[in-house]
Amino acid sequence: MTKHKNVIEVEGKVIECLRSAMFTVELENGHQVLAHISGKIRKNYIKIMLEDRVLVELPPYDLTRGRIVFRYRN
Amino acid sequence: MNTTPFTSGLSENAVMITRVADRQWHALDDDLVVGRGHAHHRPDGRLFVSIDAWHDAVFDRLAEAMPAELPTPLYTVVDEADVELTARWRRAGFTVRRREWEYVVPTDPRVTGLEAVMPPAGVTIVPAGQTDEGLLRAVDRAIRDEVEATVGWQSMPAEVIPRPEGDTIVDPSKYAVAAAPDRYLGLIRVVTVKQPRIGLLAVRSDVQRRGIGRALLAHTLGTLHRSGFAAAWAEVQESNQAATALFEGIGAQPMSSNLELVR
Repeated sequence: MTKHKNVIEVEGKVIECLRSAMFTVELENGHQVLAHISGKIRKNYIKIMLEDRVLVELPPYDLTRGRIVFRYRN
Repeated sequence: MNTTPFTSGLSENAVMITRVADRQWHALDDDLVVGRGHAHHRPDGRLFVSIDAWHDAVFDRLAEAMPAELPTPLYTVVDEADVELTARWRRAGFTVRRREWEYVVPTDPRVTGLEAVMPPAGVTIVPAGQTDEGLLRAVDRAIRDEVEATVGWQSMPAEVIPRPEGDTIVDPSKYAVAAAPDRYLGLIRVVTVKQPRIGLLAVRSDVQRRGIGRALLAHTLGTLHRSGFAAAWAEVQESNQAATALFEGIGAQPMSSNLELVR
């Protein structure tokens, strides 16, 4: 079965927590994206905070927005 | 495997909704995963679902396919500020079951007004790390049973850390308690990763409204303040008026809210 994702996964750091359930994440290459939390993370009440290191999925057709799919412990 | 075709306009091909595992669904467009759905049971037994999709049409299709293959009721959690996501779930037939506020709680006694707060006569506060594990587990079990017999534990803030069945205390060192000579009367749990989180504050029903919760909070916030933390955070269910009054009375500020939705 094909399970390829049509997303790009990049690590980054949360540099701003916005009021609209969104976060500004600075990626490793210096670019910034506007990201929301994945449903899987929210479902588990994982709190995303300023300066958290996170894994972000980016859709290939819009590299300015993303979805936080993992929060690293450190 | 259960597969259904669906034309979304994402590409010239049909998007397929496929159940790839017992609790996992994929939306496939031209052999690419364009949406994912998950379901899992919370420790309280309730089944929570989540969907991640960039397109409304894909979300809607997953939200239609998953409930058809799962028992009800189904639950999910959204940040109330995420209007778009909340609207998606409402379209799928989910309604608001409860709201939980996230508070930022100051620790400075000059702000909280808790500097002079002492426990009631005959009650002492046992700091975290110094509690008797047997008495701690006893008071935790007693309070959970009391809650379960009334409003139900599932209506309390989420408890999602996997643990052996029946074990509700992962790390006893995170708890401070209010103690009588023969038993513990209440407990407070604080876990600090980057910012301290007050995960649980509870008092036995037969000794409530005597200032024990306030004394536990005063002790804990004072300890955090002396450790250099300016604030902690806590979640409070909107319908819990006593907890809301307690936290707002010490200057806690609501910062955001989560909605628990049910279908």
